Amino acid sequence: MNLNKKLIAVALGAAFLSAPLHAGASEKELKARMDKMATELEELKAALKASMQKTAELEARQQQIAATEAKNASANSAANTAAITAAATSAATATATSVATNVATTVATDLANSRAEAARSAPSTIFTGYGEINYNRPTKNASAAQADIRRAVIGIEHRFDEKTKMVSEFEWEHGVVSASDKGESEIEQLYVEREFSNGLRGKVGLFLMPVGLLNTNHEPTAYYGVERNFVETAIIPTTWREVGVGLSGDTAFGLTWDAGITTGFDLGKWDATSEEGRESPLGSIHQEGQMAKSRDLAFHGALNWRGVPGLLLGGSVFSGKAGHNTEGFAANDARVTLYDLHARYTPGPWDLSALYARGQISNTEALNATFVGNPTPVPKSFAGWYTQAAYQLLKSGDYTLSPFVRYEQFNTAKSYAYVPQGLGVETGPDEKVTTVGASLKVGEGVVLKADYQKFKEDKSRDRLNLGMGFAY
Amino acid sequence: MRYQPLLALSACVLCAPAFATQYLSAEQAQQLMFPDATAFRPQPLALNAAQMQQIEKLSGLPARSVNWRVVGAYKGDALLGYMVLDDVTGKFELISYAVGLNPDATVRQVEVLAYRESHGGEVRLPAWRRQFVGKSASGGGLTVGEGIANISGATLSCTHLTDGVRRIAAIAQVMLKK
Amino acid sequence: MRLLLFVLAATALLAGCSGGDGGSTPATPAAPVSRLSAAAQLGQKIFNDASLSASGRQSCASCHAPDHAFGPVNDLSAQPGGPNLDTPGFRAVPSLRYMEKTPAFFFAADGTPTGGFDRDGRAQSLAEQAQRPFLAPHEMANASKQDVVDKLKKAAYIAEFRALYGAAITDDAEQAFSRMTFAIQAFEQEAPEFHPYDSKYDQFLAGKVQLNDAELRGLALFNNPQKGNCAACHPSARGADGASPLFTDFSFDNLGLPRNQRIPATADPTYFDLGLCGPDRTDLAGRKDLCGAFKVPTLRNVATRKVFFHNGAFNTLKDVVSFYVRRDTNPEEWYPAGPDGTIQKFNDLPPEYRANVNTAEVPYNRKPGMAPALTPAEIDDVVQFLGTLTDGYQKP
Repeated sequence: MNLNKKLIAVALGAAFLSAPLHAGASEKELKARMDKMATELEELKAALKASMQKTAELEARQQQIAATEAKNASANSAANTAAITAAATSAATATATSVATNVATTVATDLANSRAEAARSAPSTIFTGYGEINYNRPTKNASAAQADIRRAVIGIEHRFDEKTKMVSEFEWEHGVVSASDKGESEIEQLYVEREFSNGLRGKVGLFLMPVGLLNTNHEPTAYYGVERNFVETAIIPTTWREVGVGLSGDTAFGLTWDAGITTGFDLGKWDATSEEGRESPLGSIHQEGQMAKSRDLAFHGALNWRGVPGLLLGGSVFSGKAGHNTEGFAANDARVTLYDLHARYTPGPWDLSALYARGQISNTEALNATFVGNPTPVPKSFAGWYTQAAYQLLKSGDYTLSPFVRYEQFNTAKSYAYVPQGLGVETGPDEKVTTVGASLKVGEGVVLKADYQKFKEDKSRDRLNLGMGFAY
Repeated sequence: MRYQPLLALSACVLCAPAFATQYLSAEQAQQLMFPDATAFRPQPLALNAAQMQQIEKLSGLPARSVNWRVVGAYKGDALLGYMVLDDVTGKFELISYAVGLNPDATVRQVEVLAYRESHGGEVRLPAWRRQFVGKSASGGGLTVGEGIANISGATLSCTHLTDGVRRIAAIAQVMLKK
Repeated sequence: MRLLLFVLAATALLAGCSGGDGGSTPATPAAPVSRLSAAAQLGQKIFNDASLSASGRQSCASCHAPDHAFGPVNDLSAQPGGPNLDTPGFRAVPSLRYMEKTPAFFFAADGTPTGGFDRDGRAQSLAEQAQRPFLAPHEMANASKQDVVDKLKKAAYIAEFRALYGAAITDDAEQAFSRMTFAIQAFEQEAPEFHPYDSKYDQFLAGKVQLNDAELRGLALFNNPQKGNCAACHPSARGADGASPLFTDFSFDNLGLPRNQRIPATADPTYFDLGLCGPDRTDLAGRKDLCGAFKVPTLRNVATRKVFFHNGAFNTLKDVVSFYVRRDTNPEEWYPAGPDGTIQKFNDLPPEYRANVNTAEVPYNRKPGMAPALTPAEIDDVVQFLGTLTDGYQKP
């Protein structure tokens, strides 16, 4: 009896002591919690009383049995009675003990809950990361074989409170970064996100554009194939991030929307003498928050619908001028627009996806006139699409093997603005790439990949790829 | 006291079409799952080694904890079912959820109490959560890709949440089934 | 909800902002002299002061004429100087425009010699470059720095000089001379007439004028790596930071020019002007692989010149461009025949250095019998284009 009262007292004291831990909780929640604990206490008391009664009844019955047995007194009966008495006593004790244990457990659980909840709402910092090491071997040119630490990324997410968090991601590419080495180190994400009371989320900082399937989901464990697909690297410049503000929200029927205003591209960076603009037009003029010219800002909007489990349909649009009213620049009126449509469907073991993306740069006539004779003028439009199918073939313990096939078609210079006297550059055919391979997932954070890529136009690029990737 | 959860619920409804802020409380969840219940009794579980092994075998997952928060829903003296509370990590952050179970250990309902990730909030969609209803640990269909569809862009959250439900279904089958 | 509406409205406003066109600031007209610093104003006076020479008739401006893009006014291979203005020179006068971005001489990471002033890059700054003409016997021919300072003391602006640098400055010839060259440097760096950037090409780059057909074709040939490939050393594109092109990458090249007999020094068959490895420059005498290489000059205002290359070998732009293109396909057009009839290619270099001549880059990577990189019509187009690089273009 005393033991139980002591337990209750301790529980109450601990509960009130733990109240300060609820730093982020509102008064209302505290009150609700206290009410809840009070209710539970009442229930506990009632349960305890009930079991006390039962114990008392048991004792009474036990005494009756003992008395009756004693009346019929025989050595065996006495022994039996003693045994029954002992059993009944231990049963009663057990019941009391179990009730006490239950009380203690419940209280302890509640304590644990409160502690856990406190821990959840208290600030916390987590480390995340991912990395890829890739090997490429062109089948027609073995001396160009290359193994590369494609990227090593460390992310730090810090949650200030239930509603506010900071997300950051830092990346190193190609193994060694220095003025004379080929690596690059960069900040991939650096933003603060706040959740408002009606489910709206806002972010400010350097964040990923909600475009396509790969840009916001670019860990090596999230896509098939050793190398990221061409459409989402050459047309959509993954990993594409801008500095600005963004808002996002959900609706009850599965629609997620994103919108924002951010920095855009700088067409003054276009280098007509290099091949960069041909590999990825937007990739060669992105600013990545690097003292980014911001006279011309850009807006973006994205809608993604996941109303049917396993199905995603979505699209996005991005548009902004790229001249920034620069003194002496011939394309201050140029506007970069990119839009994409994508779908992904995962029935059972299948993972099917398709994407179409198209970019346009307007008002480039005067600028391209200054680039005549150079190999890489500014394209008027560039576009690509792909379809991909993957199938979860084998699953054994931790290992999952998923072969896949992808066909993509893209052209980084589908059309050019008019250049007089035929001095412009001819457009070329779309490049068509077929990728066949498989991913072997070890657990959920590690993946080994192998694939073979066949290029329709530039056959010297046919290659075998092997890769290891991880994400945590 | 009884109307408090109701008030909270109606406030959430008014906030729609956007999802209400994060907290569905445990009380709200149990009311949603067992609207006819007259009493909810905490019936926490403590697993022993043998039971944990059974659960592992049934679900294909480690039992993870000894203690589980279970609430029994009663109408009078009749048992309507159970609600088990749990947390799993999504991609980086905790997802708090509750699994409502029928006395025969089939899943009755799944509610997400708190979802903190920036992506993958679609696990809260009724359509996605409905996939769990009526399934049991031994009956199968409680794995992503085999009965539960994935949510594009939130694979880890989906998988961890589905695994959590499957684990709880196994616990129910071993410990609570009548 | 209200918050959402507010945010959307703010969004719309901001988006509107980015669409507006404020109009870029118009090009500033040539600044009046009073906007130069005191040093630069003095520098201008010194630059134009012929009394600072032995002859009393030669100033910097005599060879670097302000109304000829600070370059030569005639077609002489080398301007005469000396006490009587009859001492022959050795190299053609370069333009002094667009020098302010030239770096001091250095070897780039891949070993390429880059930068420096004078045709062999020997001076590390404009001030350093200004020293030698005062003292060279074939130029202003002063006997010493003291000699120059003595003449300075008699100049009309000496009071201004003393006011800026201190009354005692002229007591120390070294100091005074150094201040003089510093003032000249300030003038060359600050005065807008040294970098007007108002050629037809500049306005074309800004999208304000169009090139005519021949000029546009010429630009295309200039840029095309398979045709003229001129932009490889004479870049024509704006920098990523918005800098206007200077048409030089400050590197050096060995073109194997024909020997110009009009320079009197060449009468001595052992005289060779080897640029980076001598004779004017002495610090790279050991680098035999650099013998014969001279600085790539800016092509801005090239159409105002009547004498081209370090040794004044040619007098028309058409010859210049033709030389690049036909040097190796038709060497007989450029070099004399020796006594045995063989064409003496690269005869302005001693035989042991003729291998240094650049024969690897387009357009002078041809062999005899191959077609030249440009046809005569294309050469004319390129010359037309080069005409757009002349400053002071007024849209008609």
